[in-house]
Amino acid sequence: MLRSLYRCLLRLHPPGFRRRFGDEMLSIFDQAAGKAVACRLLGDGLVSLARQWGLRPEFWDGISPAPTPQTACDGIPSFATIDPFRPRTTAVIHGLVLSTAVFCLTCFAIRYSWIHVLHVHIPEVQFESPPVIEASAAPPAMPEEPAVPSRQKTRAKNDAPGPFRVPSAAKNKAPSPPPASTVPQSETTGATPAPRGLAVYALAQAVPAAVATKNRAVQIPAPANSKSQEDSGASPGPESPHAGTMPPAPVEDVKIDAAERRRVVDGAIANLEKYYVYPDVAHRMANSLHAHEKNGDDAAAMDGAAFADLLTSQMRNVSHDRYVMMVYDSTKKPENPPPPTSEEVARYRKEMLENNCTFEKIQILPHNIGYLKFNSFPDTAICGPAAAAAMAKLNQADAIIFDLRDNPGGYSNMVALIATYLFDHPTHLNDFYNRGENSTEESWTLPPVSGNRLADKPAFVLTSCSTFSAAESFSYDLKMLKRATLVGETTSGRGHMGMGHRIDDHFTIRVPGIRVVNPISKTNWEGTGVEPDVKVKAGDALATAERLAARELAKK
Amino acid sequence: MNDDATSFLPLSPATLHILLSLAADDLHGYGIMQEVARQSEGQYKLGPGTLYDNLQRLIRQQWVEELGRRSGDDDPRRRYYRLTSFGRGVLAAETTRLAGVVREARLRLQMAKPQIPKPRRA
Repeated sequence: MLRSLYRCLLRLHPPGFRRRFGDEMLSIFDQAAGKAVACRLLGDGLVSLARQWGLRPEFWDGISPAPTPQTACDGIPSFATIDPFRPRTTAVIHGLVLSTAVFCLTCFAIRYSWIHVLHVHIPEVQFESPPVIEASAAPPAMPEEPAVPSRQKTRAKNDAPGPFRVPSAAKNKAPSPPPASTVPQSETTGATPAPRGLAVYALAQAVPAAVATKNRAVQIPAPANSKSQEDSGASPGPESPHAGTMPPAPVEDVKIDAAERRRVVDGAIANLEKYYVYPDVAHRMANSLHAHEKNGDDAAAMDGAAFADLLTSQMRNVSHDRYVMMVYDSTKKPENPPPPTSEEVARYRKEMLENNCTFEKIQILPHNIGYLKFNSFPDTAICGPAAAAAMAKLNQADAIIFDLRDNPGGYSNMVALIATYLFDHPTHLNDFYNRGENSTEESWTLPPVSGNRLADKPAFVLTSCSTFSAAESFSYDLKMLKRATLVGETTSGRGHMGMGHRIDDHFTIRVPGIRVVNPISKTNWEGTGVEPDVKVKAGDALATAERLAARELAKK
Repeated sequence: MNDDATSFLPLSPATLHILLSLAADDLHGYGIMQEVARQSEGQYKLGPGTLYDNLQRLIRQQWVEELGRRSGDDDPRRRYYRLTSFGRGVLAAETTRLAGVVREARLRLQMAKPQIPKPRRA
C-alpha cells in the first residue's frame, strides 16, 4: 500500500527526474525497514515532488550538462549554447492567479459599479446558440400564429399598416407591386420594394447627419416618381436600368448650369410644398431656396454633389430638420425603377430567416425574467411566425425585457404585433399622418393572442442613442400607454418618415412626409428622442432593468 | 582548478556530505545515504529526495559522474556514482576552507576571556 503510494509519488515527478532516479528511489524504499521509515520516505517523496516541480524547472526534461564557455583553438572564446532559462513554476502560477484575479475584478467593477468612469458595454454571456425557430416550433399555446396576417386583414383599422419606413402612399403609387388595398400581407410583400433598398435605406437613416453623397441616391426606395415629376415639371430622361438590379448606368458628366439649377430648385420646392410634414416650414424652406437661387448664391456650385450639399444646408438652416436632404447621383436614375425581382424578395426572405429575423437573444434570466433582444422590426409577412415563436418562448416569464439598444427600426406591423402580447385588448398605438395624401392611418395592436400570459406582466424596454425609428415608436407607445418602463438612453429622435422623390436623372430630394402622432400625447419624439423613465448608460441598461424587474417581482 | 573551485564555496551540508562520501569509493544512492549517516554518526540523515536532487545538480555541474549499473549487484536498479576530478578539487577546497575555519575557531575560543556585562543606566 505504502509502496504503491510512493510509486505514485515518483510517477508524479518531472519526467527527466523520474526516468533518471525513479528506479533507484524505489529501490531505496524497498530496503526501508518498518512503517516509520516508509512513512518518512513518503514525506521525503512529497517534499521532493514539490521541489522538483516548483524549484527545478531546468531539470524537467532531464540533466543536460551546464553550458560552459568553450575556448577555440585560437584563444577566442565562443559561446555555443543558450542558457535554457525558464521562469520558476511558482512565479508562473502566481502570475496566472494574479492576472486572472485582476481581470475578474476589473470586469466585475466595470459591470456592476455605480461609478461610471468607464462606459464599457460587456455583453452578457450567451450559453445557447441563437435558436432557429421553425414554424413547427411554436407551442400549441399559440395555435393561430400563422394566421397573424389574417388577423390583420380582419381589422379594418389596420387595413394598411405598411412598413414603418416606406409609406403606403408610395407603395400605392408604385407601378408594379400588387394593389395596396388588398391585404396587408400582399401589400407588404409588394412593398418590399426593396428588400435591398430598405436595408440600405435603414443604414442611410442610421447616419442622419451625413451629407449627401453620390451613392446615396441609389439607395432610396422606389418613390412616387411619376407624380413628383409631373409636379416638378421635369422632363423624364431616357430610361436607364435600375442600379440595383442591372449593371450600373454609365456615369454621365453632368454640367450644372443655371437652367439645371433652376430646374432642381423648382423640383425641390414643389416636393417640399407637397410632401413635407409641416406646411409652414415647407413654405419657409421653399422661400429660402427661391431667394438663394434668385440672389445667385447657388452659382458657385459647379458640380452636382456640391450643389446638392448647398441646397441641403439651405433647407436645413430654415427647418432645422436633419432628415431633409438633396441627393445627387452621378449615375443616371431611371424614371421608373423596376420593382424588385422575385429572386431579390426571396433572397431577402432567406436572409431574414437565416438571421432568425434579427431576434438575437431569447432568454430567461434569473428571477424568471424574459429577455428578448431584437435588432430590427422586420416585416410580419416574413417574420411573423418567428416573432410569435420568440414571444411564445417567453410566455411563462414573470416579467419581460425588450432590448432595443441596437434596433434601428423597421416595419410598424411588427411594432403592433409585438406590442399585442402586452395587452389583453386591441390598443391604439399610433396615427400616421401622410401630408402628401392628407390622410391618417391608425395603428392598433392585434386582437389578444390566446394563451398569452404576458399581458399583465411588468415590461421593460432598453434604449440607447442608437435606438431609431420604429424602435423608438415601440418605446414611445408603451411609455405613453404606461405599459413599460424605459431604461437606458434618450433615443435618436426620428418620428417622421421620409422618402426620396426623383427630380431628374441625377437629383433626388428626400422629404420627411409622414408624421407619427401618438393618440395620447398628440405629438411624437421627432428631434427630441424618447426620454427613458430610468436614465442610465446603455451599457448598464440591462443590469438596471433586471434589478428593477426583480424588485417589482419581489413586491408581489 | 582550485581557483575555480573556490568560487563554489561554501558548500551546503548535503553537497559536502555527498562529495565526502564519494571521496573514498564509488557508491550507489543507498550507499551514499548510509555513508553520510556513518560519517555524521547518525546526526545527518539524507532522504532520497534530497540526495537525488543534489546528485542531479552535481552531475550537471560535472562534479559527479554516473557510472551506470554494475553486474552482480544485489539490486540491478542501483546506479553508481563517482567523484570527478573537478568535484574532488571542490571538496579539497572546501576542506581547506573548513580547516581554516576550525583553526580560527579554536584560536578564538582559546583566547576568549569571560566578559563582564557593563552596568546599565536606569
